[in-house]
Order: sequence, then C-alpha cells, then structure tokens
Amino acid sequence: MIDVVIGAIVWSNLLVLLALGLTMTYITTGVPNFAQASFAIIGSYIALTLLRLAELHPYLSLPVTFILGGILGLLTYYLALKPLIKRKASIEMLMIATLAWDLILFGITGAYSELLSSITKKTETLFVFTYLDFEFYGLPGRLIVSSLLVLLTILGLYLLLYKTKFGIALRASMENPSLAEAMGINVENTRLFSWFLSGALACMAGSVLPFLQEIVPQTGYFIIVSIFAASIVGGLYHILGALIGGYIIGISESLFTYVLSIFLGPGVLVYSKVISLLMMIVTILIHPKGITGTELWRKVERWLNL
Amino acid sequence: MVELITLILFFFALYTIVSLSLNLEFGYGGIPNFGKALYVLTGAVVVGGILNRLLIWYFGIEGDFISASSIAAYKMTELISQNPLLGLGIFIFCVLLAIVAGAIVGALSILPSAKLKEDYLGVTLLAISEVVYLILFYNTEIVGGYYGVSTPDILAFIPGEYRMYAYTVLGLICAIIVYLFLERLLNSPYGRILRGHRENEDLIKAFGRDVMKLRVKTMAIGSAIAAIAGVIFVFYSASVVVNAFNRVEWTFYPFLIVLLGGKGNNRGVVLGAFIFVLLKMLIDFYKFDIKYLLHLPFEAVWLQYIIFGILALLILCYKPEGILKERPIFTPPIKSRINE
Amino acid sequence: MIKVEKLNSGYGKLQILFDIDLEVPKGEITTIVGPNGSGKSTFLKSLFGLTDIYSGSIIYEGKDITYTPPHEKTKMGISYLPQTNNVFTNLTVRENLRIAGYILERDEVEERINFALEVFPELKDILDRKAGSLSGGQRQMLAMATALVRKTKLLILDEPTAQLSPKLAQLIFDKIVELRDSYSITPLLVEQNAKRALEISDIGYMFVSGRVVYGGPAKALLNHEKFQSYFLGIVGVEEC
Ligand SMILES: Nc1ncnc2c1ncn2[C@@H]1O[C@H](COP(=O)(O)OP(=O)(O)O)[C@@H](O)[C@H]1O
Ligand SMILES: [Mg+2]
Repeated sequence: MIDVVIGAIVWSNLLVLLALGLTMTYITTGVPNFAQASFAIIGSYIALTLLRLAELHPYLSLPVTFILGGILGLLTYYLALKPLIKRKASIEMLMIATLAWDLILFGITGAYSELLSSITKKTETLFVFTYLDFEFYGLPGRLIVSSLLVLLTILGLYLLLYKTKFGIALRASMENPSLAEAMGINVENTRLFSWFLSGALACMAGSVLPFLQEIVPQTGYFIIVSIFAASIVGGLYHILGALIGGYIIGISESLFTYVLSIFLGPGVLVYSKVISLLMMIVTILIHPKGITGTELWRKVERWLNL
Repeated sequence: MVELITLILFFFALYTIVSLSLNLEFGYGGIPNFGKALYVLTGAVVVGGILNRLLIWYFGIEGDFISASSIAAYKMTELISQNPLLGLGIFIFCVLLAIVAGAIVGALSILPSAKLKEDYLGVTLLAISEVVYLILFYNTEIVGGYYGVSTPDILAFIPGEYRMYAYTVLGLICAIIVYLFLERLLNSPYGRILRGHRENEDLIKAFGRDVMKLRVKTMAIGSAIAAIAGVIFVFYSASVVVNAFNRVEWTFYPFLIVLLGGKGNNRGVVLGAFIFVLLKMLIDFYKFDIKYLLHLPFEAVWLQYIIFGILALLILCYKPEGILKERPIFTPPIKSRINE
Repeated sequence: MIKVEKLNSGYGKLQILFDIDLEVPKGEITTIVGPNGSGKSTFLKSLFGLTDIYSGSIIYEGKDITYTPPHEKTKMGISYLPQTNNVFTNLTVRENLRIAGYILERDEVEERINFALEVFPELKDILDRKAGSLSGGQRQMLAMATALVRKTKLLILDEPTAQLSPKLAQLIFDKIVELRDSYSITPLLVEQNAKRALEISDIGYMFVSGRVVYGGPAKALLNHEKFQSYFLGIVGVEEC
C-alpha cells in the first residue's frame, strides 16, 4: 500500500511538471502542444545517453537535461510554430503543426534509440532506471527528487512572477498580450520563456520517469492523455491549474489502478487512462475552463490575495 | 513491379476513402478530427470483434477468443471458396454494420465538445481515440490486441495469385462510390449549409441551424465512411492487428493528405492521396535498400516519420491551401443574401 | 502633432476605413464622434498599429510612423487606451503602474509613479488591490495614470467615459483638460458622450461609415446639421 502511495505521488509530481508546460504554452501561444509527451521521452533518452556515455547518474544530470529540454522547447516554437504564426495561420493549422512536430520527435527518438543501441551494444529501445535509485531514511529517491523538483519549480515561478519586473511583465502579457505590447513589453519574450520552461520541465520529468516505469519510444503515446487531462481539469487558462489538475489526475489514476488490480490482477495500468479521459470529459461538459476557471476558485484566490 | 503497383492502388483506395471523410469533417465542416484513427478502427472491430464472435457462435467453437477466431475464420474461408455469394454477402453485411457503428461512435465522441472551440474539439477527439486504442491494444480479449486475430477471407473463391488484384478492385470501387456519394452530399441542402458554415458561422445561426447538430451529423457521416475503410483493410489482411490502426497512419497521414491535396476540395484530396501513398509505398518497399544505401544505423520507418512530419510542416508554412486550391464557393442561399 | 493622410485600413480583407484625412494639433483636445460601427475605434487602433493598413500615411512629429510597431510607438510617447481591457485585471494597481513604466529606468519609474499618483490621488489608497476588483471609474483613472507613468505626449482614449455615471464622467473630462493644461499632454478621444466631449474639445471630427464627414472646430460641429441629425436625437435623450 505504501508503494502505491509513493507511486501516486511521484506520478502526480511528474504530471504537474508536464502539465505546467502545456498550460503555459497554451496561455502564451494559444495552441495545445500535442508534442508535450514526446518532450518527456526525449528527456528520458537524454538522461539515458548521459548515463551511458558520460556515466552521469540521471539525478545528477538534471541540470543538463533542464537546459537541453529548454532548447528543445525553443526549437519547437521557432521551427514548428513561429513561421505559421507570422503567416496568421488558424488554430487548426497550429495544432496540426504540433502533431507534425510530435511525429518528427517520435521519429528522431526511435531512430536515436537504435543508434544508441548500436553504440553501447545494448538494447536501448526499452529501459528503466529503477535499479539506480537511492533510499533516504526509507524514502525512495524518486519521491524525494520529484517532490523537490515540483517545490523548486513552484517557488521559482512564484518569485519570478511576483517579485521581478520580468515576471510582472510575463503575467501582464499572459493576461492581455496586445495591451502588454502597448506598454512596450516585447510579448515575444513571454512566448520564448514559456516554451523554454515547458521543454525544460518536461525533459526533467522525463528523466525521472524511468525510475517509475519502462520507457520505449512509444511511451509518449501512453502518457499524452494524462497530461491533457491534468491541464484541462485544473484549467487551461491558469498556471496553477496544472498543479491542481496534476495531483487530481495523478492520484486518481494511481488509486484507480490499485483498486482495479485487486480485482483483476496486474496489467490494468491502461485502464487508468479511462479515468483521466472521463474526468476530462466531465470537466469539459460542466465547466470547460476547469477548476481554476470557476467562481469558487476566484474567491479562494481573492482570499489568498494571489 | 506489378505487385508494387497493385499495392499502391490498394492503399490509394483506402487512404482516399479515409481522407475524403476527413475532408468532409475538417475541410468542409471545420472540425479538427484528431481522432480519425478511432473510426477506421471501428470498422476493424466490426469484423474482428463482432463478425468473428458471430462465426464462433455459429460454428459452436470452444476455447479462447483468439484461437477460436482462427478456427472460425478458417472454416468460413473454406465455405466462401465454394460460394462466392457468401463472401460478398458477408462483406456487405460488415460494411453496413460498420456504417452504423461508425456513425454511432462518431456522433458519441464529438458530443462532449461539440459546442466548444476548435482546440477543445481536437484535444477531446484525440484523447478519446487514444484511450480506446490503448485499451483495444492491451486487452487481447476484445479484438486480439497486440496478438491480433484472424478473419475470414471474403474473396477466397478467387485463386490465390489474383486475390490481391481483386481486393484492389474492390477497394477502388468503394472509393469511387464514396467519392460520388460525397459530391452529391455536398450539393444537397445539408452540404450547402455545411459549406456555408465555414464561410460564416453567424450566417448559419441566422438560418436557425444549430452548429452543434451540424457537427454531430457531420462526424456521424464522416466516421461511418472511415469505418468502411477499416472493414476493407481487415479483410485484405485477413486479420486484425490493433497496431495497424495507430494515430500516425490513420489520423496524421489523412491530415497530411488533405493538406497536400487542398482542404475543401475532394478532387485535390484524391490527388493528395495518390501522391502520398506513392511516396509512402516507395519508402516501405525499398526500406532495406534505403537503410543499406544511406548506412542508416536504424530502421527506415523512423526516417519515414521524420520525412512526413517535415513535409507537413512545409506544406502548412508554404502551401497551406494545398495543390488544388479550394474553389470559392458561394452557395445559392448565401449568394442571394449577399445580393440583398 | 499627428497628421493622417488618405488612410485606408481594416481587418484582413475587410476594409473599414476609407481615405481618412485627420490632424491632431499639439496642445489641443481632439474628439472623434460618429454612430456605432462607423470605424472610430478602428481608426484609433490603426493609429497605434493594431489593424492592417492598405495605404495612406501617419506622420507623428514629422516622422512617418504608418508601419511602426506598437511598442516602438509607445517609446515615442504615444499611449493608446482601448475601450475595454485597458488595465491588467490580474495585477495590482501598483503592479499596473510599474509595468506601465516597463521601458523606463528603475529610479525613474518610482518618480513617475509618484507623479501619476499626485494627478490621481484617488489611487493612493488602493495600491495593493487587484485591478480586477476596481470600479469602472477607478479603472479608467488607473488606465490614465499608467499613461502618465509612461511620459505620454499623445494620449489616445477610446470612450473613456463609457458606462460611467454622469458625475464620474465629468470627473474624467476634467482630468483630461487638466492633463492638457498642466502636463502638456495632447488628448485624442473617441466619445459616445458626444455633446459633452465636444464641449471640452477644440477640434471635432465626425465619422460615418468609415469616412470623415466633418473635421474642424468642435463648437461648430455641435451645431452642424449632420451632427444634429445623427446624434442629438439619440444622445440628447440619453443625457436628459
Ligand atoms: N477585430 C475586428 N475584426 C473584424 N471586424 C471588426 C473588428 N473590430 C471591429 N470590426 C468591424 O469594424 C466596424 C467598425 O467598428 P468600430 O471601429 O468598433 O466602430 P465604432 O468604434 O465606431 O463603434 C464594425 O462593422 C465592426 O464590426
Ligand atoms: Mg468603438
């Protein structure tokens, strides 16, 4: 049972990191990024590469993954989206562009996994890091590290968004880009920032993911629904939505799988996606703006004076 | 060589059917249906999941679903080889069933988001399609999952060496019927409203048509058509393997075709399907030569994904209207309104 | 101050404005009136670079700024306050003022904020409230205060008194006059409150269906037959 709880928290932490990026880029660029899960898997392979070729433990390589992930996010924006935005492409076209980019990343991941296999002479198409994990007073490293990552991200974002001039400008541009532009703020910077952070957080999440489950190039297809569910349930128009949605979806998925496995035995992980899908659909039916879009949330926010 | 050409024509027929249905939804109706693969898969489930169970029950076969399916498929194929009408009957039965199932699945899956903006539509359709796919893939008891199940060969009465040609002809006939049906449909009152819907949503509201109803109807029709392609594909391969109905092959590629040919132009889409399938089949057919020639340290299929992804981005950026531009359509009711 | 010649603009393929000629003299209040949908807001947006301009020119202090991007115009001392959403509702009043000085040096910002608060002392007590929770009048004053922080020379206002009580509207009009008289800012406004706006204005323009039908002294426009036929019937009743 304790393993289930730990697994639930780790998975939720990773979902929060993944959903945060999705929500931020949605707010700044207005397009749901279908390549978000592929960012994570690329993060997994970056960590694997650093482990194999530089003998760097995945936890220690997190800073490198962060930066490489950020670059990946920026490339996504520059190569797949910006040229279209400049030509005033419609939202459908932008969505297809992220799907196309997702396919490109999938192709690259698959090709790279085989290339890496031929270099290391091991099968790298399927791998885990679980055997590398440490324990600290009985708590598994993945729990500590993923929780720290979320904590640091939230703290960093809070300080940045509320205490710096750049951060205030960011919040301003997210709320009303044209007015921000009128203030002399270069709104493009907001986009660049959000894509950098989105890629960076997703890749870090991806390098912790192999401590929790097997990774194959197709893993992205397995987790994309959970990420979208987290962002939508929490609310796509509010950064904090990702935090709330991430925990709701992560914990529901894990507990549901646990209960189901008691009745049906192992191999039921896939049904956890049904829960995410249902929660997402219910949200869309009742309140498409999600939890952070409700009147109740606004009251909570006022009360917290956020 | 003849084999390759036949193969190209067969997949050309399949992709034409699916892309035309996508063009109805996306090109004319403006619905970004990122769940397209689900409806092709629905056709496969009709054969692998429903027809097989009926046959197992009819022949009274015992045992687990996958092996029972093999026996049932074998027995049925034997019967068909003696009786052509039986094969065609089963085909038509499955197509009709797929049309009904496709329409239901299509209508149901758009219901949650039918009133919302395009981004929510696209995300929801993709999510539903992915989850159903994953379940059918991992649960081997529904349609065989990753193991797959055998299905009867409905053209077993045709000698082995001509079988592939026959399936190609069958596919092409279906594609032609779908094309003609859609052309007629687009000139019906419904079709005019649909085309007008994209030109001006307010105008349609003024006409008293509910956008939601229009979307549900369009998805039902489009999905019913896509399911037919699933049926043909399954009978051709004489088996259902769920991986064959993945998002890349049956959602992304049809979008690529529609963009390539020209969205909102059925003739363009047919042309797009041809060019795409030609490219894809050449890569598939020569994948070992490509791998060897370029000294690729990986399978050529990954390269194919990268190439088609880049191609899609290039089209979006430099030729978003496609090869054949959509004809400016002023449907009669709108024309009269403008003249008022 | 700003001179517009033969301006044709709109949204994409939809042309809204046709051959607009208009001049805003320095140190005078210029008001544009006209029926709903006549393109007044579109004109202000065109000045600021938020529409598609097909032809014509906009000259600001002798420089051609027809195709200058908005944030550059901000740096040149042009402020544009749209009809709605002219403050950031998720930011506090203080943050709004700070962000208004985004392009200035750090020390200068504080100085400018203090100055803006002197002109709008009403804002002093609500500095830490979120702008989203302010009343309409407070919001409008905050919007104008942000323009002051930015060292504005030309202040473009789109219906600043819309949905305000007559008393508050008068307060805003008084502030506009004060801005011109004491702080040498040139206001250019669009107003539905046409009569009262023209009364404080020096120059008046009237738009109908995307064209200028009158341009000249504001007082003369008040008595112009076109103005009377289009407006006084409607606005006059509202104002009684
Ligand atoms: N963003 C926009 N896109 C397309 N058309 C617009 C847009 N904004 C306004 N319009 C159209 O431009 C015309 C003029 O509108 P506007 O400039 O707001 O008039 P006014 O401010 O004088 O009431 C109207 O017909 C309106 O429908
Ligand atoms: Mg207006």
